[in-house]
Amino acid sequence: MAGFAAVLRKDLRLELRGGESLVALVALSLLILVVMVFALDPAGGVRDAATAAGALWVALILAGVIGSSRVLLAERDNGCIRALIASPLDRGALYWAKLTAAFIFMAIAEAAAIVLMVLFFNLDFDWRLMRMAPVIALGALGFAALATLLAAITGRVRAGDMLLPLLAIPLFVPALIAGVKASGAALAGAPFAAIAQWLKILVAFDVLFVSAGSLLFEYVIGEE
Amino acid sequence: MTDAAPIAARGLFKSFGAAPVLRGVDLTVAAGFAALIIGRNGAGKSTLLRILAGLWSPDDGAALLFGEPSAALPPAARRRVGLVTHQSFLYPNLTARENLEFFCALYGVAGAPEQIARWLERVGLAVAADDRVRGFSRGMEQRLTLARALIHRPAALLMDEPFAALDAEGVAMAAALIGEALAGGCAIVLTAHQPLAIAKLEFALYEIVRGRLVARPADGGAEPRGAIDPRQPAA
Amino acid sequence: MNKIANLWLGGLTGVLMTAAIYMTFVYVPTEADQGIVQRIFYFHVPCAWVAFGAFGLVAIAGIFYLWLGQPVWDDLGYAAAEIGMVFCTLVLVTGSIWAKPIWSTWWTWDSRLTTTLILWLLYGGYLMLRAMADDTPQVARFAAVIGIVAAADVPVVIVSVRLWRTIHPAVLVTRQGGHGLEDPRMVATLLVALAAFTALFLWLLMLRFATLRMRARLGAIARGLNLAQAAAGDL
Repeated sequence: MAGFAAVLRKDLRLELRGGESLVALVALSLLILVVMVFALDPAGGVRDAATAAGALWVALILAGVIGSSRVLLAERDNGCIRALIASPLDRGALYWAKLTAAFIFMAIAEAAAIVLMVLFFNLDFDWRLMRMAPVIALGALGFAALATLLAAITGRVRAGDMLLPLLAIPLFVPALIAGVKASGAALAGAPFAAIAQWLKILVAFDVLFVSAGSLLFEYVIGEE
Repeated sequence: MTDAAPIAARGLFKSFGAAPVLRGVDLTVAAGFAALIIGRNGAGKSTLLRILAGLWSPDDGAALLFGEPSAALPPAARRRVGLVTHQSFLYPNLTARENLEFFCALYGVAGAPEQIARWLERVGLAVAADDRVRGFSRGMEQRLTLARALIHRPAALLMDEPFAALDAEGVAMAAALIGEALAGGCAIVLTAHQPLAIAKLEFALYEIVRGRLVARPADGGAEPRGAIDPRQPAA
Repeated sequence: MNKIANLWLGGLTGVLMTAAIYMTFVYVPTEADQGIVQRIFYFHVPCAWVAFGAFGLVAIAGIFYLWLGQPVWDDLGYAAAEIGMVFCTLVLVTGSIWAKPIWSTWWTWDSRLTTTLILWLLYGGYLMLRAMADDTPQVARFAAVIGIVAAADVPVVIVSVRLWRTIHPAVLVTRQGGHGLEDPRMVATLLVALAAFTALFLWLLMLRFATLRMRARLGAIARGLNLAQAAAGDL
């Protein structure tokens, strides 16, 4: 527990200081949303909740691939990951700390992306966004769990940066389908019952990947 | 704890691809003794150190710390190991003090703030304590690395070229720190390009020659002390 | 022993495959609604069966590798992934050829097609990792983890894709296969084709597995030779 707190505090402090992950995440989300607006052209006055939700999830995935893996990749500097492996720090504590940091950064970036989405796609700031919040939070958690496990692999392989999206995006498909559908329904003002089935899939995905990550992390972080 | 030697290697083999680097290295270092391993560039000194530290797995043989395989060391045993490698293990965007704070937290060092202040003083970085490591020179980084490796009072110390990039005063400081650790009963393995002429420090001297560890009597002709002879002593 | 097993399995595959081809093109009656193109079904379904089986084997081999650490499990997983990928590609290709005249489109986001495509992408990533990374125990552990995670993901993919399609306006409600097996000759043909493709899979798996084992042995021999050469240099 002490190790978990130490690593998380260190990561948050580094982030506040360097700000690489978070700034990159928000900037990428902004850029991707702009690209999506050009590509889909929703400015015809039509308020298309489904399109907005789709654009938001594209931003979540692409920004997540690049941004959330930074949390673990930052340990590559000066071989710090080796210091963590050689230290008394429990492997599980390392996983949970990295997952927590990645989730916090993703959640903040998604909050920013939602605001941008409302502005760019001519939506309203109202209760519908509140209904979408748990969907986005579950999606961010699932992606953070996935990225934390996979970054431990791709960070230690040649050309691994290219490999991360190739591995992460297909694995994320179920959460993506559920997330896009649930977000679209929530934005369109559908009742909670309409998104419940999608939330179930998201919860199942999160449980699966958080537990798979905590079980398998020790195998990917060990000696070379 | 067990009475097993703090640092031991048993018939270590390691190849990169098909090229052998270590061919049956045996080494035992008892508490309070130090082994100095020399060898030309690429002889396998760093490889041996990394295997002893459990960062790399050997092809064959066993690297043992406190009698347990290095790669599968329980946390309690890992707490008693100090490590200096070519990589500093320091976070560039943290200050010297913050780096040490983080490592103290990882190793559960008691009375961390006082210890950190004391160690920063010892390695001559008190004035740079609150500067980020990013701006440090190689020598300053190496000084902080020494503090980082020693602050939790390890019982086994693995140091890959601890004197690298240090000025004369820094070398004397590092030698004093190593001497203190030895006097405190720490077992030490360290590497260098050539035999070290450092007063008041006594090492069992070995050279890695073509993947094997060969005992070399020190310059004065004295037999290596403390460390047990490798499998095939020098003829 | 390997040679005998190879001959037996190869012979069995040849006989079964000849029978399957004969039954598919000559013996089995043409399906009334879909016409001649329905015959691809007897290759399509066995390919899907083999692909799913192979990917299941990748995960099982991965679990055993992480548990026992024996390289044979890694080689088995690698071989199964490669062959599974070939059959998964065949599933997509034969499915497309069938879909063009029946659904009048090469591709549709039907739930089974979509699931198969995701499966193909998942294991494409697995094979990319293996192709890009070196052949070390560490990478073998990475691959085992990816294989396990990918297999664990498949049920969630199936559920989500099915749910996605059912609430989507269904343009095409026709289910692939499943229909038109009222004639017992059709059932017989499918069973023989399944047996033939299973035998083909096992044969290919054995050959590929043996190749990978041989490569591992070759690496060990090369290392041993280099060690012997170096030892000779000691004299």
